[in-house]
This record gives sequence, C-alpha cells and structure tokens, in this order.
Amino acid sequence: MSTLLAWRILLHEKGRNALAVAGIFIAILMIFLQLGFYASVPRAGMLVYNQLAFDIMLTSSDYVFQEQSYDFPRQRLDQALSIPDVANVSPMYQGEAQWLNTTDRLRRDVFVMGFRLEDDSVSVPDIRRQRSLLRRNDTVLVDSMTLPMYGPQVRGHVVEIADRAVEIAGTYLLGTGFLGLGAVVTSDLNFVRIFPRRSLDNVNLGLVTLKDGSDPGLAATRLRSLLPPDTRVFTRAELDAYEETFWRKRTSTGLVFGFGVIVSIVVGMVILYQTLATQIIRHLPQYATFKAIGYTDGFLQRVVLSLALITAGIAFVPALATAVMAYDKLRTLARLPIEMTPARVAVVLVIALTMSGATALLAVSKVRRVDPADLF
Amino acid sequence: MILHRGIAALRVLNARGLRLSPVPLAWRNLLSDRRRLARSSAGIGFAALLMMVELGFRNGYIESMLLVMRRLDGDIMLVSSQKYQFERVAPFSRRQLYEASGVRGVASARPLYLERTASIWRNPQNGRHFAVLTFAFDPDQPVLLIPEVQAMLPELRQQDTILMDRRARSVLGDVAATTDGELSGKHIKVAGTFWLGPNFFNDGNIVMSDRNFFKLLGGSGRDRTDLPDVEVGVVKVQPGFAVAEVQRALRAAMPPNVAVLTKQQLIDQEASLHAKLSPVGPIFTAGALVGFAVGILISYQILFSELSDQLAQYATLKAMGYGNGYLVGVVLRQAAFYAFAGYLPAWALCIGLFRYISDIMVGPMQLTLALTAQTLLLTLAMCMFAALLALRRVITADPAEVF
Repeated sequence: MSTLLAWRILLHEKGRNALAVAGIFIAILMIFLQLGFYASVPRAGMLVYNQLAFDIMLTSSDYVFQEQSYDFPRQRLDQALSIPDVANVSPMYQGEAQWLNTTDRLRRDVFVMGFRLEDDSVSVPDIRRQRSLLRRNDTVLVDSMTLPMYGPQVRGHVVEIADRAVEIAGTYLLGTGFLGLGAVVTSDLNFVRIFPRRSLDNVNLGLVTLKDGSDPGLAATRLRSLLPPDTRVFTRAELDAYEETFWRKRTSTGLVFGFGVIVSIVVGMVILYQTLATQIIRHLPQYATFKAIGYTDGFLQRVVLSLALITAGIAFVPALATAVMAYDKLRTLARLPIEMTPARVAVVLVIALTMSGATALLAVSKVRRVDPADLF
Repeated sequence: MILHRGIAALRVLNARGLRLSPVPLAWRNLLSDRRRLARSSAGIGFAALLMMVELGFRNGYIESMLLVMRRLDGDIMLVSSQKYQFERVAPFSRRQLYEASGVRGVASARPLYLERTASIWRNPQNGRHFAVLTFAFDPDQPVLLIPEVQAMLPELRQQDTILMDRRARSVLGDVAATTDGELSGKHIKVAGTFWLGPNFFNDGNIVMSDRNFFKLLGGSGRDRTDLPDVEVGVVKVQPGFAVAEVQRALRAAMPPNVAVLTKQQLIDQEASLHAKLSPVGPIFTAGALVGFAVGILISYQILFSELSDQLAQYATLKAMGYGNGYLVGVVLRQAAFYAFAGYLPAWALCIGLFRYISDIMVGPMQLTLALTAQTLLLTLAMCMFAALLALRRVITADPAEVF
C-alpha cells in the first residue's frame, strides 16, 4: 500500500521526478567511476601475472615491480625442484629495448618478455595458439594494445629491436598496463638473441607450479628456508597483495579516488535529500490529511522510504549501463584493466540504497512534525 | 583629457546602472537571509573545492613529470626527433650540438645527459636496489636552475661525487644522512642534496658531472667507450635576438634527426603526452570532469530552490511592470555573487588542504594562478549555467498566481 502510494506520487509529477532521477543517476555513476579507478589502477600491476601459470613466484630479492624486476641465478629454479611439493618450474626473462620502426625510422621503448616454449606457462589464448611460430629465429608476438606510434604491427612486418631485425609473427591481446606503451613476447632463445648481454642462466621471474593438493603457504616456507637470500619467494596471494599495495601507494590512488568515492556519496545524499525534502514540503497538506484520516507516522515514513528507494532503483539501471560504457572507453584510453565485476555492482547498489534510505529517514522528520490542525 | 573622458564614461555607466536598477536587488536578495546565504555559499564552495582538488590532482600528476624540464636554464631545447617522452633515453650526436653553437644568435648550447635504466641506487640502510634517474652536465656549463646544485658545482667536479634528491621516495633510504653510497655497483660520495621530487615512473633523481657520468655509467657506441651522446642541448639565445628567430635558424641548420623546440614547447609536448597517453592521465581528467558535473548539479539545486522561495517576489516585480530582461539580469548577478561568495572561502581552504596533501601525493599540489583563474571561471560558468537552467521558473512566473 505504502509502496503503491509512493509509486503514484512518482508518476504524478513526471518532470520533477525525472530531474531527481537524473541527479541521483549522476551521483551513482560517479560512485561507479571512482570505485572503478580506485580498484583498477592498482590491479594493473597483476595484468601480466594473471595470465601466467604459477602457484609460487621466485624473484630477485631486489624485485620492485615487473619493469624493475632484476635477475637471479637459474639454479634457484633447479633447487626449488628438490622440494617434493614442486611439480614444475619455468623461467621468464624480461627486459626493455629500443624498437625501431623501419618504415619511418622512429625509435620507441618496448618491453620484451621471453618464456620457454615447451612450458605451459603463459595462458593467453593468442599466445598459446601461435606459440610454435616463435620457434623460428628472431620472431616476436606483439601486444595489440601497443600504440599505433610504433608503426604497422602486422604479421610478417620486420622491425628492429635492440638493433636486431625481428619479424612480427602475430599479435595477442593482453594489455601493457604500467610496462610502457608497447610490449612483445618471444621465446627464451629469441630473448637472448635480442639481448646478447643477457644469458639464459639469469632469470627475471621463476614460475613454480605445485603438485595437486599441496599447500602454497607451506611450500613457500620450505622454499624460503632452502633458497639463499638473493631470491624472494611469493605465493600468488602474497604477490597479489604486494603489487596492489605498491601501486596504490605509488599512484596515490587510495588518496585520490578514496576521496572521490566519499565525495560522490555525500553529493548523492545531498541531492536526494533536497529532492525528497522539497517533495515532502510540497505535499505537506496531503500528508497532513492522511494523518487526519488516521494513518500513522509509521505509514507515512514507509511512503517516503519507498519513494527514496524507488527513485534510487530507477536511477541505478541507466547509471550501471553508462558506467559499463565509460569503463569500456577508459579501458582503451588508459589501457588499464577497468572492469565491471558483479561484486562492484552489488556494492554500489547497496551504497545507493543505504544512501537513499538514510536520506529518507532524515527527510521524514518533516512529515512527523506535520500537524493536521495546521492544514485548515 | 583622458581622465576627463574616464569620468564621463563612469557617469554614463552610473546613470545606466541607476536606470536599470534603482535598488541593488541582487545584492539585497543575497543578504536578505544570512543563514540561507551561508548554506548556499557553503554548497557552491564545496563544488568549487571539489573542482580545485580534482584538477589539482591532475595537474600535480602532470607537473611531477615536468619538474626537471622547468628547471632547464635555456630558451631553446635540442632533442632527438625520436624522443617522445622526456625520461626515455633518445640521445643525439654531440657533434650536432657543436654545430648548433655556431648558429647566429646562439649564446651557448650546453649538453644535458640522462640515464634511466642503468643507474641503480642501493638503499644504504637496507641494501635494496632501485633504478633512479641520473642527470649530468659539465660543471663549467651548468644547465640546471636548482639553487643547491648551482651552489655545489665545486663538489660536483670531484671524482665519483654525486648530489642526491632529498625529496626522493623513502624507499631509497635516508638520503640526507648518506655520505657514502653505491650507484650501479660502484662506490660514490654523496656531496649534498637538492630539492626536486619523484614522479609516477621514477623514485628519485641524481645529479652528477659529465665526467663522472661517463666513468660510472659509460659512454655511447657499441662498446660504450665514446663520449656519451647528448640527451638535451640547452640553448641560450644572445641578448637582442628573438627566440623564434633563432629557433628558425637552428631548424635550418640542424639535420632532421634533431628537433628544435622552445622550452615551453618541450614542456607542453610532455604535458600533453602524460595527459593523453600515459595510463593514469585520462583517469585524472575523468575525475576533474566528474567534479565539474557535480558542481553544476549542486549549484542548480541551490539556485533553483532559491528562486522557488522568491517566486512571489519575482512575480510581484513583474506585476509592477519590470520586464523579463531585468529579472534575468538580477538572477544572473545573484548567481555571480554566489559564485564569489562560495569561491573565496573554498580557495582559502584549498591552500591549506593542498599543503597538507602535497606531502602524501605523488606530485606537487599547487594552487597556481592558472588553477585559481581556471576554477574561478569554472565556478562562475557553473553558477551562470545553473542559473539559466533555473531561470525558466522566473520567466514563467505568473503574477496572477501569486495572490
């Protein structure tokens, strides 16, 4: 009954309520965007790692982040194999080199990753599919998020990386995140051809997979006591936490977007309050009449609450749709993994409803004070 | 004569003002209810503060990328035409720099060297390694306008001696307390510190002489045994020559692999790269846009409810014979007053706020004159726009309905 009445009130003044819905739409959209930035920017550190198969990652003890990873002896991987829990180890090599686009002679920095082709360490479908192409000497696969200023990135095109002619064997879709504006993958052997100063004996990342049923935490502890201090041991969860904290601090996203989320909530509440309060004031005679007829404060409270919740509910749908589009646009613009997750949809919905519920309770005090006698 | 004319013009203006508005209605409207004034200007001030902070974040992020460039002591910068980002190494031959110093109007062309990946600093406290940005120049031809660096040129001339950025990220260790350090596996002396700061991509800066740069980080060529190539040629223009004229002459003299840019052009190019292409630039811009949208929303709400409250008065004015044009003028003036009333306290608050967040933020947060002008204009625009939206109410006010 109270919901029906609220619905009728909403339909009664379409124009005015459309405006209220628009206001709350913007507030909810803001919460989506700011939360998206807040959560996604630090996730970019895991962009590549999420596509690698490992339970435990070995890095140099100097490891800062993927672009500044430093190297450590490959023997550490063989040592790791001596632990019974360890099923497999696989080395990853990475480095930065100059990419020369041979058509316009422009040089750009490119991030090069090399992996052992016979290991199943990279799970990007495009890379797995085209893995065998990398068996040929001097071939690479190019990330299709690499900027156009790197020149044509089509199969068969020859560019120079670190003054060595290499052929583009294909492209893959992963994203460059914080690695720079361009990235390629290749085999471990091609990697050392491109970087003649590097050797296969010094690796940048060691990907360790465990046997089914073993506990990564326990295995990591064993590895730590086994390996010398030049090597650092991360379980997947530890690495995730490390990268997130590192990028949150470095980009000040906690500060910038945390601030943004709080502001959006406050603004949303102010807008909703203003709308509800004006609506109530304008309908005060009607509310007073209800009271005079005998409806209780509780009933009127429920009407206002339903009014607020329905308005927020209506505004939520287009806000979600617009946010999905905005995420899409920003994903290509910023090349960061900004994605709409079911958890975020749920969180924002809860925030929107709580926000409107709280505002309704604030605004409802006006109704409670209505005196039917004032009406006449 | 001029004074006389000025006074006459003022009189005319005054007479017009009097004719239009015998009572400063917008002003009186503003002051009629002090509590409402406080409430409304607080709302608009909040919106203005929001824009200032969001734009401040964005500018701070971009500004952190320009710190060194702004301190280059020259009018024109020669860089490799391959260079698309200041901190990415793309040197050009020093011979071309010598050629540039022979161009008419050039007072000096001095080299700046840069190294980003090979200069690895060891944290003296915990022994961990971090890549830092190393800048080098000839102490006899200094190119950096950093007072502490300029004061320590004699120290820079000593062997294996560097100056360290004391605003560097704390991961590099307690820099101020360090006298002996390690750079790329070699022992170095830290003669002193200077004040610059990290940015998004780099944790701190080191300054050294060209000789030490060559010795510690190597030269150019396949075996790195040649003198290092030049990263930036810092050109000063002789007095009496226009910068644009010398820039043209340099362009004509330089081969196409060297780009000739004024200092401002170099800075603008870098700023636009970070605003558009870097991973976080677009996100900060989106934040600033959202701030503006929210500002319009808030001021619309405020002005709308204000006008609704005063509808009876406006209708009465209409009934007395005042035209819509007059009422529009009053509303717009009132909106402008609100913009100022909200902006001033927000601006004062922002100074303190920026000082506080500057310490924890990645880039320098500065309430520059440009940001002040920009946000004041945006606040005015936002209030005017909101007023125009809300105006329909006044224009459609029907005097007959009031009574």
